[in-house]
Amino acid sequence: MSDFRPTFRPALGAKTAITSAEVKLSALPEGAIVQVLAPPGEQDVASFLSGLGKGGVRTFSPGQWLIVGDEPMTQEDMKTLFETLEPRATGVDQSAGRARIRIDGKQAGRVLSKGTALDLSADAFPVGRSATTLIGHIAAHITRIDSDSFELIVLRGFAESLWDDLTRMSAEYR
Amino acid sequence: MTSYRLATGGLIDRQTPLSFSFDGKRMLGFEGDSLASALLANGQLLVGRSFKYHRPRGILTAGTAEPNALMTIGQGGRTEPNTRATMQELYQGLEARSQSRWPSLEFDVGALNSLFSPFLGAGFYYKTFMWPAAFWEKIYEPFIRKAAGLGKASYEADPDSYDKCWAHCDLLVIGSGPAGLAAALSAGRSGARVVLVDEHSAAGGSLLSETATIGGASASQFVAETVAELASLSNVQILTRTTAFGWYDGNVFGAVERVQKHVLDPLPAVPVERLWRVVSKRAILASGAEERPLVFGGNDIPGVMMATAMRTYLNRYGVAPGKHVAIFTTNDSGYALARDLESAGVNLVAVIDGRPDAGFRYSGRARVIKGAYVSDAHGRKALSSISVWKNGSVETLKADALAMSGGFSPIIHLACHRGAKPVWSDEQAGFLAPTGLNGFELAGAVNTNSGIAACLADGAARGAACVEALGFTASVATFATVEGDIVAPPAKPIWKIPGIKGKAFVDYQNDVHRKDLALAVREGYGHVELAKRYTTNGMATDQGKLSNVNAIGLLAEARGVSPAEIGTTTFRPFYTPVSFGALAGGHFGHHFQPVRESPLHDWAKKQSAVFIDTGLWYRSSWFPRNSETNWRESVDREVLNVRANAGLCDVSTLGKIEVCGNDAAEFLNRVYSNGFLKLPIGKARYGLMLREDGFIYDDGTTSRLEEHRFFMTTTTAYAAGVMTHLEFCAQALWPDLDVRLASVTDQWAQMSVAGPKSRRILQPIVDDDISNAAFPFLAAKEVSLFGGQLQGRLFRISFSGELAYELAVPAGYGESVADAIMEAGNPHGIQPYGVEALSVLRVEKGHVTHSEINGTVIPADLGFEKMVSQTKPDFIGKAMLNREGLTAEDRPRLVGVVPLDPKASFRTGSHILAKDAAATLENDQGYVTSIAYSPHVGSTIGLALVRHGPERHGEEVVVWNGLCGEFTAARLCNPVFVDPQNEKLHV
Repeated sequence: MSDFRPTFRPALGAKTAITSAEVKLSALPEGAIVQVLAPPGEQDVASFLSGLGKGGVRTFSPGQWLIVGDEPMTQEDMKTLFETLEPRATGVDQSAGRARIRIDGKQAGRVLSKGTALDLSADAFPVGRSATTLIGHIAAHITRIDSDSFELIVLRGFAESLWDDLTRMSAEYR
Repeated sequence: MTSYRLATGGLIDRQTPLSFSFDGKRMLGFEGDSLASALLANGQLLVGRSFKYHRPRGILTAGTAEPNALMTIGQGGRTEPNTRATMQELYQGLEARSQSRWPSLEFDVGALNSLFSPFLGAGFYYKTFMWPAAFWEKIYEPFIRKAAGLGKASYEADPDSYDKCWAHCDLLVIGSGPAGLAAALSAGRSGARVVLVDEHSAAGGSLLSETATIGGASASQFVAETVAELASLSNVQILTRTTAFGWYDGNVFGAVERVQKHVLDPLPAVPVERLWRVVSKRAILASGAEERPLVFGGNDIPGVMMATAMRTYLNRYGVAPGKHVAIFTTNDSGYALARDLESAGVNLVAVIDGRPDAGFRYSGRARVIKGAYVSDAHGRKALSSISVWKNGSVETLKADALAMSGGFSPIIHLACHRGAKPVWSDEQAGFLAPTGLNGFELAGAVNTNSGIAACLADGAARGAACVEALGFTASVATFATVEGDIVAPPAKPIWKIPGIKGKAFVDYQNDVHRKDLALAVREGYGHVELAKRYTTNGMATDQGKLSNVNAIGLLAEARGVSPAEIGTTTFRPFYTPVSFGALAGGHFGHHFQPVRESPLHDWAKKQSAVFIDTGLWYRSSWFPRNSETNWRESVDREVLNVRANAGLCDVSTLGKIEVCGNDAAEFLNRVYSNGFLKLPIGKARYGLMLREDGFIYDDGTTSRLEEHRFFMTTTTAYAAGVMTHLEFCAQALWPDLDVRLASVTDQWAQMSVAGPKSRRILQPIVDDDISNAAFPFLAAKEVSLFGGQLQGRLFRISFSGELAYELAVPAGYGESVADAIMEAGNPHGIQPYGVEALSVLRVEKGHVTHSEINGTVIPADLGFEKMVSQTKPDFIGKAMLNREGLTAEDRPRLVGVVPLDPKASFRTGSHILAKDAAATLENDQGYVTSIAYSPHVGSTIGLALVRHGPERHGEEVVVWNGLCGEFTAARLCNPVFVDPQNEKLHV
């Protein structure tokens, strides 16, 4: 069946972005997400990963990071990256296992504060800071990517529910 | 003779009249009115009936503690019973209805209860409804239930939305009276993040009821200027209409904001209430003090009111309480009201001061009677006169309004929410908050300050101190001189007033009067907690805000001890009632709980799947075809088709974990009871995971993809649990092992392609050779698909017992690949099958799930003895497996069951009896764990855990369902009903 063309279906493909003056909600392209796991005690992994230039680096949990990018990575590129990581760290492909949602605007923090107990003030949670949290009932990973912009990374299976919840949570600011 | 609106004065907007109704009667109020002030302005003294005796009741307070003016407002789904008229802002079109009366407020049949009051004392129903016993269920209970309750909830759905959110701050200030405002100002100016909450519609607290001036400006003007400054600070957030209701661990406070409870038509996109969880590094309680009622006869007649409340109605709302007003006080605060009433031109009949030696020099015209008490108030639906008792003689004074002030109780509830008990102070004549609250300070009246100047100074100092402790540089805010401030030092409380003739109420909301408390003590319920239950004092929506301290005082007197010895009942959240709507927030309807969708969800939908909730997942249950009318038809067809041709089942919901690191193999070897150290690359192995106690925890296959990379599958139900377990093992048990765990459940769309034709269907899709020789049973590897267009993972594993493969592809391609398999399989008769068919296939094959692995079984019970390694030095569960009970010979073990009559059936959970044994628990030999209708066998089949089961194949038994009284003759048999030699797996 080499004539068959497998088609990719994004988790939030059916969702149209929500745009208003105070809050904007959009699904980010399902490019690449690589979970990087370092053995205990491995030093300076974050700067090592940033230096690779393979995408944005997000702190995920102790000894773990995510490399994220808007462009998909080919199987070969992924393998090469995994090899580059060794022996300092191991890579696991999560490109299809997570969906990314971006929320921007003056009220973005207030919308998220309906779901997360994290202090999202700019002092406590500056640009570049990441944390795993609950947004309502759904576990998600938040990164501040700009003063009024956050990236949410969520398990693919929960992506639609999180989108629906964010839509509800932002309703009063639209 | 009644209350009325003064021609001038108050903070209301007389240019904006608002029309509203009470019990259908149209009335007018003004913007800025509360429902209570508007009712008083309209001369409506009678606003409700009491709970037990249905006595006429009027407005008693101007705030949160109101026990009488509870009303139902709104219509349909917006009906809200027990709304305190004192807290409800007036709006155009508001409709209020009185409660606890029939047929009308003016004429209430329930008032007959008053005639029987000698029989209706505390605990009367414990004593009265004892016999005959049969009457309880049919007569007494329905009658009591009908009579009980405050207001009626609507059965209609609430059309409004609610929300919850979090806030974070350096300092939370609760209350925006003088102390709260000053604290927020000191802290706010330092740059600290401050949240200021106040339960009223406007900030200002008691200052809004004041006639004193601050630096020459009116108190309300001072409030406006201060609030404007706070509002201009970006680090200060002011939340009015927000009640802080609880103090929780970690200095988290709960608060509820009434966002749109003051409008007729709430904006649909905006919640009507918002529940805040405020995480604060420091907090200041500036909640003020509650004025205590005085317990004299008829103290509940409409027209009798708290003195500070009367002052609020007068000064804030421009409402006079009556034409001839009297004041009964035990402290100096009553004179502030006296002064304001006389300035407003209201006739003040007398100030009755309980202190013979009262030193306050009152300069007004009114008569001051010292050392006297109001022993009784008279009137029915409105006050007409009062009896003033002095040294044994009684004088009657004509009065249509009476203010009372029995001293002040600091509002310390929140400070006691985390377990600390209030402390009685004789000096302050009240219960005070315990000290050492660790980041939670008190300021103002709650901290025993009296007067505006003292509260401002205390608040300012504490606000500054709190943020300085956090590293901010703060200076204590200072304020101009206060003119006309009345400082009321604490006065000796008067619990027992002499000469009382009528009913003297302690708890208005529950109709508890002083004799009830005396009775409780006489009958042995003098402990404060017992007295509460016995008399109901302090129960219901107000939780004794006005009554508790008086009740404690009366209990103390009756027992001849100090209130310190009586103590208080326990303070718990919520400070005031919080709606279920606010607690649920947005998690309602579609948003009640999230849905977890498989990447093949839409593919299954296209195949007309019937879904079933599996945790948060939705799994395909079966796929009905047009002509099929019940689920069994569909499931039987799917099962037969898998055995004859092939089927495609979505197994994406199974947990998937990548286990990496240099010690991954050693790690798995310790986690599983069977060996994994030597699992070759490219191979899968079925693994059993035990708990420490030796019982089986979970099962699944784990494949070795690379030297240091394994791919583990778990059951759907235990995916998260296994991940947590593995993390615990890695982090806590064996931190020395280099092992790294990643959950990849959502990364892969995984499809089981099962059936004798599965290879023929998959081979054109998979570029690699998947023949039996090249890809034998339990092979596992990465494969190329569609001529190199896609990479996937292929596993030759089988739950159905047929030749089968599981193909995993990146989730986003799942639907497309499933479509391709269906297309390729079409000539071979492929059909989708759901979890019901999957379950039949596995029962036919004797494969276990958590129906069998139910927390009581060890490997040997299921015939898995060989999966318990005898050579490994250790693995989880090894030590405990050798316990006496786990090695007993008569443990229930896995066996198959079939009915003797193929048309007969039995149910899961039924028990096994020997053929001729009586149906008793003593004869119980085991139980059925799973059943299915097997199209292959042609009857119901079951798996069961039965004593000596494997040795009893062929034995006739009885399957006994004690719950339904069913007995089915059956035979024990081999639990593998299909292909016991596993020949199909290896073709």
